[in-house]
Amino acid sequence: MSERIETLEEIVQRNQVWPVMAAKYGVENPVPPWKTSLDGLCDALDRAACDENIPSFKERRDEEDALSSSVYADLPYPENQLVALAHSLVARGVIDEAELKHRLASIRERLEA
Amino acid sequence: MTEHDHDHDRTVKPMVDEITDFEVLEIALRELCIEKGIFTAEEHRRMTEFAEQIGPTPAAHLVAKAWLDPEFKKLALAEPMTASKEVGVDWMHPTGWGTPSDFTAFQILADTPTVHNVIVCALCSCYPRPILGNSPEWYRTPNYRRRLVRWPRQVLAEFGLYLPDEVTVHVQDSNQKHRFMVMAMQPEGTEDWTEDQLVEIITRDVLIGVALPKAGVTSNVITETRPAIHPGTAG
Repeated sequence: MSERIETLEEIVQRNQVWPVMAAKYGVENPVPPWKTSLDGLCDALDRAACDENIPSFKERRDEEDALSSSVYADLPYPENQLVALAHSLVARGVIDEAELKHRLASIRERLEA
Repeated sequence: MTEHDHDHDRTVKPMVDEITDFEVLEIALRELCIEKGIFTAEEHRRMTEFAEQIGPTPAAHLVAKAWLDPEFKKLALAEPMTASKEVGVDWMHPTGWGTPSDFTAFQILADTPTVHNVIVCALCSCYPRPILGNSPEWYRTPNYRRRLVRWPRQVLAEFGLYLPDEVTVHVQDSNQKHRFMVMAMQPEGTEDWTEDQLVEIITRDVLIGVALPKAGVTSNVITETRPAIHPGTAG
């Protein structure tokens, strides 16, 4: 679980974390706008946890704690929650890293169009 | 039109005018999970709407009502989920049996002159979300979770709460089946206050038990989040 995942490492290095972005644009919201969607994602995943490889609620939180204090120790919350979840899903083979990398590029292209 | 003949509230607030990697990552995970059939877009939407509407206000109203009405206090302690409905919270929402991680035995812990209650989830971060909203960051950390059960007075002191020795500290561990919140005692000097006035001082911290309600204190403590370091291995 602690192996580095290059696609996520690149995201960490670009450091577009909410405190930085909020300060840059003078925004006062304490958490990024995607946080509630992430909460919805976690709840929806917990309902599906009986499926093979999907982490249970406790496994998801344990892995988040472990990754947030090691591989992603430099990320603030909730960025560490999001990236740790991505890491868990890739490490468990639920999502393939190449597939994730491709999807990240296509979503960015879509949003910037 | 005069100089002030416009609506200040409708002035557009600044926003982050840049697409961040984290925003893109959240969308990517969600889309891939939906495409793989792990959950549906409708399930995600329902859970997200739930996350958007929860907060600590209903819990504060519940405690304020209990302070003002001894009969409601009895109901709150005996049938907390019924009392929750009186402040607009149905613990069965949104799935019919609560959220997947919030099921659903709920208990309210009433402080007394000799017992102070404080909640934690030593295992992960279970929290009474339907009535109290999302947990604060520090509540999720291993630092709080591991240390509160061992050194409750020291951890409470870090929040600025110093309790006399004659008050017993009861640390209540939550879990996936049982959720708790704290009903503090009504502070002196607030006897003639209205429910809305009382709600102002029943903060999230008070409902967790890391603070006591006090006239004039309406905000939560901001604590620095730190990793858990055992005193025996530190420095």
